[in-house]
Amino acid sequence: MSTVLETTGLGKRYGGTWALRDCTLRLPAGRVAALVGPNGAGKTTLLHLAVGLLRPDAGTVQVLGRTPAADSGLLTRIGFVAQDSPLYPDFTVPDLLKMGQKLNQRWDSEFASARLERLRIPFDRKVGKLSGGQRAQVALALALAKRPEFLLLDEPVASLDPLARREFLQALMGGVADDGTTVLLSSHLVADLERVCDYLIVLQESRVQVLGSVDDLLAEHQVLIGPRRAAAQASPAGVASVIRESHTDKQSTLLVRTNGPILDPAWTTRDLSLEDLVLAYLADPSAGVLPGPSPLGMDLTS
Amino acid sequence: MIWMTWRQHRQQVLFVLIGMVAVSALILPTGLRMHDVFTDSGLADCLRRTGDAEFVTVGPGSNDCAELANQFLARFGNLQPLAVLFAVLPLLVGLFLGAPLVAREVELGTHRLVWTQGVSRLRWAMIKFGLIGTGCLAIATAYTLLLSWWIRPLNGANGSRFTVLIFDQQGIVPIGYTLFAVALGIFAGTVSGKVMPAMATTLVGFLAVRLLVAGVARPHFQAQRERKFPVTSQVEPNQLNGDWIIHVGIYNSSGVQVAANQQRSCRPESPSPSPSATPAGPTPEGCEEGLYNLQIYQPGSRFWLFQTIETGIFVALAAVLVILAVYRVRRRIS
Repeated sequence: MSTVLETTGLGKRYGGTWALRDCTLRLPAGRVAALVGPNGAGKTTLLHLAVGLLRPDAGTVQVLGRTPAADSGLLTRIGFVAQDSPLYPDFTVPDLLKMGQKLNQRWDSEFASARLERLRIPFDRKVGKLSGGQRAQVALALALAKRPEFLLLDEPVASLDPLARREFLQALMGGVADDGTTVLLSSHLVADLERVCDYLIVLQESRVQVLGSVDDLLAEHQVLIGPRRAAAQASPAGVASVIRESHTDKQSTLLVRTNGPILDPAWTTRDLSLEDLVLAYLADPSAGVLPGPSPLGMDLTS
Repeated sequence: MIWMTWRQHRQQVLFVLIGMVAVSALILPTGLRMHDVFTDSGLADCLRRTGDAEFVTVGPGSNDCAELANQFLARFGNLQPLAVLFAVLPLLVGLFLGAPLVAREVELGTHRLVWTQGVSRLRWAMIKFGLIGTGCLAIATAYTLLLSWWIRPLNGANGSRFTVLIFDQQGIVPIGYTLFAVALGIFAGTVSGKVMPAMATTLVGFLAVRLLVAGVARPHFQAQRERKFPVTSQVEPNQLNGDWIIHVGIYNSSGVQVAANQQRSCRPESPSPSPSATPAGPTPEGCEEGLYNLQIYQPGSRFWLFQTIETGIFVALAAVLVILAVYRVRRRIS
């Protein structure tokens, strides 16, 4: 499987503060990856490094096998929608499409205008007068019109209402399904992205905390409910680590990462949602999970 | 990129054209009238006769140019503040074309849109700065040609086109000022990333550099010259020969200054049959033997040399600022 985004020890510093640090990750081609983390975790910094808006202060970043900041030819192969979907407010949609055509070697204007017509975006109004949801759709259409191999979106739905969120994500998935475009989209809320993403990167305190395919992560993690247990008591067989535990007088609830089946009849197991999983990790910065056998599987929890 | 630049700045082009029309509407009628009067009154001919002679004879009939010049200034001198007003034109270009160029992109976040299209930031900056710079060059050339024509009669009547603020309105220096103002605006925008602070920086920076160059550096572009002549003399310096008088004073025979920023001219007790000559008597106060006037000046013939030097300074500053702005666009803004 080829790699679209690969970073090694990547770091970016603003003044004396590291916005991103020791970031090592690999994003395989064809994935729709969610980049999740609290505000200030370094998501935007990572995306800006990946599209060449920023240059790293440490480590390396490779996109489609090339170095973004040093290689402007790469810009024609990636699509990027920055936070708040910036557009020239005094441009109309046709103006923006013409801009894309003038500034890109590869540009599918018809594809973009057909999409926007289908969404009933008015073409004769300045985009500054459009609603937030419409602007986001226009920005997405502009990014997709490049027919990018890799599409990066920074908090694309953060400012949208729930309906517009849903429509945006539908449009996104419809737009990338045919081409097998790799997508990396950031959000501070995983719930927004749960339905669309199949790969997860959790950033916390400027480091990568969780990295892996959503299916694998969900299969690996379970909620165990059983009789109340002492804090020091050994975990049941099959548990690799306990991420979070809570206790009532009678029973304990554990969120665990497994390394085998849980066969102990004292415990009932329950699957958990991606959101629960992410929240559990975010609540405990010292825990971390990175893919199993991987050349880059180094311990980033230290 | 060319289309993009046009699309983004076509409104400004419209404003500039409107502004040029407004300025022309002010300049053309007043200029035509001044040129007519300048010729018809005989001032033009008189000045041509006197040329750039260093001294002229004192006395009736010998100094009619000054008389005509005074008449001309009495009529048109009130237009001179207009020329001062035009001194802000380069600044306006810097404030409204230069400062928002990058700052507005960053303020709206659209730099992240345009810099992630298939055009490198270097190319973006080169084309954008290049086209805007060329546009400003055209604007500056047009208005300096217009102003140089307009101000010519006033140059003649004032006796010099070299004095501060008059020098700055004609020739080629307005082009240098304009390019500098635009480059300063662009650079300030790359630093602040906000339009208002960029405009404020441009305003302060432009005025500071202009004052510094005009007030401190310009008088010393070339070694200054001295001219001494006795207080009591048959001749006095030709005030209309185009020299830039930087300092005047009255000194006594031992070289001590007795009065600063003054010149004195006493008629000699000559046998010339002058009706205004005072009868012989004691030497009037201030006209004692040995007192002399001193002028420190730059000769009018250096006008174009000074224009070139000053334009060179501002164009060089503009070039440095543009290079820094390109660097910041490529490396420092995200």
